Amino acid sequence: MAFLATFLIRRLAQGLLIVLIVSFAIFTALRLVPGDPARLILGPMASDAVVEQTAREMGLRDPIPVQYVHWLGQVLHGNLGTSFIKAKSGGEAAGGRDVSALGDKATVVELLEQSVPMTLQLAALALVFAFMISLPIGILAGMNSGGWFDRFAVYLGSAFVSIPNFWLAIVLALVVTAELQWIPSIGYEGFAYTILPAFVIAIEMSPIFMRSLASSIASAKQRNFVQLADVRGLSKRRVFLRHILRNAAVPVLNVFGVQIGAMLGGVLIVEYIFNYPGVGLLTVQAVLERDFPVIQGVALISACLFVVINILVDLISTKIDPRLDF
Amino acid sequence: MSSDTVIETAPPRTRARMETPGRRIWRATYQQFEFKLGLFLLVVLVGAALIYPHMTKLSPTRMHIMQRFWPPVFLPGGHWSHLLGTDQLGRDLFLRSLIGLQNALMISVSAVIIMFVVGAIVGLLAGFYGGIIDTVLMRITDAQLAVPVIILAITILTVHRPSPESVTLVLALSGWPGYARVVRSVTLAERQREYVRGAKILGASPIRIMLQMIAPNVLPPIAFVAVLDIARMMIFEAILGFIGIGVQPPTPTFGNIIADGRQYLINAWWISTMPGAFLFTTLLGINLVGSSIERARNKVLEGRI
Repeated sequence: MAFLATFLIRRLAQGLLIVLIVSFAIFTALRLVPGDPARLILGPMASDAVVEQTAREMGLRDPIPVQYVHWLGQVLHGNLGTSFIKAKSGGEAAGGRDVSALGDKATVVELLEQSVPMTLQLAALALVFAFMISLPIGILAGMNSGGWFDRFAVYLGSAFVSIPNFWLAIVLALVVTAELQWIPSIGYEGFAYTILPAFVIAIEMSPIFMRSLASSIASAKQRNFVQLADVRGLSKRRVFLRHILRNAAVPVLNVFGVQIGAMLGGVLIVEYIFNYPGVGLLTVQAVLERDFPVIQGVALISACLFVVINILVDLISTKIDPRLDF
Repeated sequence: MSSDTVIETAPPRTRARMETPGRRIWRATYQQFEFKLGLFLLVVLVGAALIYPHMTKLSPTRMHIMQRFWPPVFLPGGHWSHLLGTDQLGRDLFLRSLIGLQNALMISVSAVIIMFVVGAIVGLLAGFYGGIIDTVLMRITDAQLAVPVIILAITILTVHRPSPESVTLVLALSGWPGYARVVRSVTLAERQREYVRGAKILGASPIRIMLQMIAPNVLPPIAFVAVLDIARMMIFEAILGFIGIGVQPPTPTFGNIIADGRQYLINAWWISTMPGAFLFTTLLGINLVGSSIERARNKVLEGRI
């Protein structure tokens, strides 16, 4: 257990450092973007003096490090700030250009509370789809390494990686939703609206799982203890589950950890196209509207997620394969 | 991040044949049918992109009000003069896709070169020196990996007006950490080998050891796999164009053609889908070529050939 504790402390410290670097970089980059948020909030009719006063009240004229430390202090209190633009109801603040409107805006925490579960639902379903596609194909290809099914899997994988996700999203929305009217999409009015976006993300993710599963199963099959298992009289089932699959799981898990970042990118663009009310749509809108607090909140959360998932992946890997140490 | 799938380079076990690993990889690559198929697709498409725009009298940007919404040639009402049909402004979609392909290739190939060079430098330094240099460089790399690239891309491209150059740099920024990690891990292993230790004892300068000894041994296997990243960057470039922060119209890119066609999807579905199918075919060519190179490389490095 002492091992585990030092491992966790070291990785969490490193993770904290990463999160700090990321949040500071995003914070700084955002403040170099042309376009004054105070002007955006107040609208073109407001006088320069009012804009200036609001900017000062919001702390937008302080030096960037001062603003950052102030923001960080608030984050530690669980306060990620208030959206410049989004109203409490979730939509845009109605006509929301009046001077005193700041009070009616949604906090970033509220916005995330609404959108994070939606994105988690989408990501979970996408993972289920991705495994449904890649587990059977990857295992079969790996067990028949070099055979016709392996070659078929190679072509299928190449075809899947070659499909631009946003284009697939458009085509599916056109054919499945608009023409055939099988599965609804565009917006969200129930669980069925998750299916098509999740499918697009799954198609994007599955080739990597397929390939790493196939290659690690193929190489596990070559190992001595698998080759000798027949001699020991172990059942095929036992050899497959305990010897092959278990050894192949670790590399696949590691690929998964690395892929998280890429998956977030896919979620973002797919949510944008399907108008699915998750973190991705929130982020794209926030960037296009210069909604700094929202962007910072999202960047912070996703950096934390990245760190935590990678620690978890390492922990689970050692659970599966005790030879790995921290 | 396909470069993360790279397995640590093992030293070639036997040198039975006096052939360099590079040559053996090429030979193992060429024996695969996937490679020939991919290469064929690429030669046809890239060849068309280089030649056709000079042959035709059509213009990718000039509008023809009388020729709007012509369907592709294989549909009723299609016309041989416009193979993939025309868009909402009467411009030829085949020609626009080809110009889009030219732009996409130029941007993604330069982006991959830049990210490879940057990643290689960072990885070599971190792996060779270790210690504090390693820690600092790798924490920066981790931080870069932890930022959702698309957030960074949108932020940067709203600061700088998107141009081919700035789009290239954003793509390069998204990809270098993968290379830095892989190069570092193979450099770490290489540093322990006798010839490096010997060179150190003989007093060779660190720069000389890194550039003339380690780099030629560890970089080529990684460079082979970079082909796959060209395809990833082309998709990414198209995504940026699609959300309106890629190279700006009227210059055609896959992203902005598909985005423009989206509003006419119900009545003129080919405007969005045809260039997408074109992009898909190109990517398929690159991925077939890239993955057969990758498989050949793994075989050679694992000593199976």
